[in-house]
Amino acid sequence: MELWEVVLLWGAVLGYVLGGATAITGVVLKRLPERSVLALLALGLALHTASLAVRWVRLGNGPYLTMFEILSSNIWSFMLVFLIVYWRYPVVRPASAIVMPVIFTMMGWMKLSDNHPGHLPSQYDTTWLFIHIGFAKLFSGMLLVAVGLAGIILLRHLQPARERFARLPVSDSLAELAYRFMAVALIFHSLMLVAGAIWAQDAWGRYWGWDPLETWSFITWLLLAFALHLRVTLKPSPQTSAVLVVGVFVLAFLTFFGVPFVSVSPHKGMM
Amino acid sequence: MGLLWQGIHRLASLRLTLVLLLLLALGVWLALRSELRTTWTLVVPLALVAINLAASLLVSPVFRRHPGLLVFHLALLTILLLVTAGRLTYLNGHVDVATGQAFEGRLTVQDGGSWHAGDLASVSFVNEGFIIDYSPGQRRDRTHNRVSWHDASGERHTMVIGDNTPLVREGYRFYTTHNKGFAPIFIWEPADGSRPQRGSVHLPSYPLNDYRQAAEWTPPGAEQALWVMLEIEEEVLPADQVAHFRAPEAHHLLLRFDNNRQILRPGDGVEMAEGYLTYMGLTTWMGYRVYYDWTIHWLFAAAALGVAGLGWHYWAKYNRRPWRPRYVESEALRHRGAQTDANVPAGDDTRASLPSRQG
Ligand code: HEM
Repeated sequence: MELWEVVLLWGAVLGYVLGGATAITGVVLKRLPERSVLALLALGLALHTASLAVRWVRLGNGPYLTMFEILSSNIWSFMLVFLIVYWRYPVVRPASAIVMPVIFTMMGWMKLSDNHPGHLPSQYDTTWLFIHIGFAKLFSGMLLVAVGLAGIILLRHLQPARERFARLPVSDSLAELAYRFMAVALIFHSLMLVAGAIWAQDAWGRYWGWDPLETWSFITWLLLAFALHLRVTLKPSPQTSAVLVVGVFVLAFLTFFGVPFVSVSPHKGMM
Repeated sequence: MGLLWQGIHRLASLRLTLVLLLLLALGVWLALRSELRTTWTLVVPLALVAINLAASLLVSPVFRRHPGLLVFHLALLTILLLVTAGRLTYLNGHVDVATGQAFEGRLTVQDGGSWHAGDLASVSFVNEGFIIDYSPGQRRDRTHNRVSWHDASGERHTMVIGDNTPLVREGYRFYTTHNKGFAPIFIWEPADGSRPQRGSVHLPSYPLNDYRQAAEWTPPGAEQALWVMLEIEEEVLPADQVAHFRAPEAHHLLLRFDNNRQILRPGDGVEMAEGYLTYMGLTTWMGYRVYYDWTIHWLFAAAALGVAGLGWHYWAKYNRRPWRPRYVESEALRHRGAQTDANVPAGDDTRASLPSRQG
């Protein structure tokens, strides 16, 4: 990696870690310094953007080939979506204590992955790839916000955490908000599937081929539909609703980051 | 009639939808695990989902009230029907065409739906030659394959296709693939004095079968087979630099038939029992993937409409009832009193403003 890229990435990690640690401490101490958290995370995001840009210019391809790049760009998009929501919906802010540990895990993994450049297969040479990835990022970003809210609902039932989130809206109300993000996630997931199918038609001569990534993302889509249906049909408790949000998130996460480990399908770019 | 209506109402159950969505997810998972991709584990749940969905669309009053939701679910049903139609009528196949040769409507390998009724026999085009870019490390990049054809009025057209850019003729999509190689060209003059014929031998895919550039071949109209091997005397795709796929200039053929063993260079010939064979030179062949599915554009339209319907539904739903956080006061808060919102009537736990800052 180029020196600048490394320096900027470390700066970003530092910003995220400081912002996240401040958020977690703030929630524990029941005194969340919202502006400082926002400033630190935004600084991290700015440095991260610069680091990704330096890499893109150097390699001539975007951050979507190697696991290192995929993790980095997903941390970036998670942070972007979360920060926009953090800024627009003050009620979501304490969820940063739940969202940031997810980001920390991804950052740890990113730092352990091989950061050498990958090879751009000819199938990746299309605008549909960008559209597909863009929707995927919006989908997972929305889901991350929902999981933050779901996390609050679930943690509230643990004695030590109850007090920490006491001044937030009631769980019913948080679950309703979480499901609004789930609904938007479904729209972006559907768009991701459509864009992906168009890309696949051109790249592999078929719009759908049941490769493991396609299959698991379809299962994620079904579970998302299941969760939204369950909510309107059986009107479950906020806790049950929250468990489902976490379930969808875990499935989506494993699809994104788990399947490439067990699959040698073309979707992984191994040609 | 009453019974039928009652039956449809039962089939439209939203609880059933929940079960079916899980069943479908399970079916998809099982299909992924088995080698057979479209098994009954997929087809049965999909059929049940379609029935459930159709019944619901018929009788659920929710859909009258929410047109966006109606559009979305109609699109889902349409997609299911289109996919079914597509599976019954699709065609998948492969064909290898040597440079300078024409595709004449016959595929080497194919599988398809039982009701496939396309007009492949009327499709023809000529492979005019191709260039494939290679990055260092023998990594294949873009393929640029020029093809030409004549339309119904006899006018000639040309186009450059590739792995991502198909030639589309009569609904059949021809894509280039990684499967390509070299093809020695021969002129075969039968001993019985009949017309000389041109023939080409498609050697195994290159560079995949770098060390097995050999094939058995029978000249057109002859009985006796011969064995042809290509020996390349130069580096075609240097591993350490940018390169392009091309037929090697420095090479020779090794021919074996009966107990004869013969080395041929372009222009050389050999006398055989049934005729005279002249080696004209080396060209390339491209393996095309052929795909036919008339539903793809309709599927795209249905999917796009469906997502728009879903967006419309949620837009309308959330605009109708903007999210308002509801709070219950904790014991501690009630004690302190001062922090409760003065504008909220006593006993109402709904506050208009957001106390966003903690503590
Ligand atoms: C299996 C057949 C299906 C049937 C019979 C069905 C039926 C329904 C009905 C009646 C509603 C309205 C519920 C209400 O507001 O009270 C609904 C809502 C919905 N359905 Fe389906 N549906 C089916 C499959 C699907 C699938 C596969 C999806 C995929 C994503 C889906 C996504 C949705 C969504 C997003 C809503 C809106 C929920 C909300 O307003 O939050 N449905 N469905």
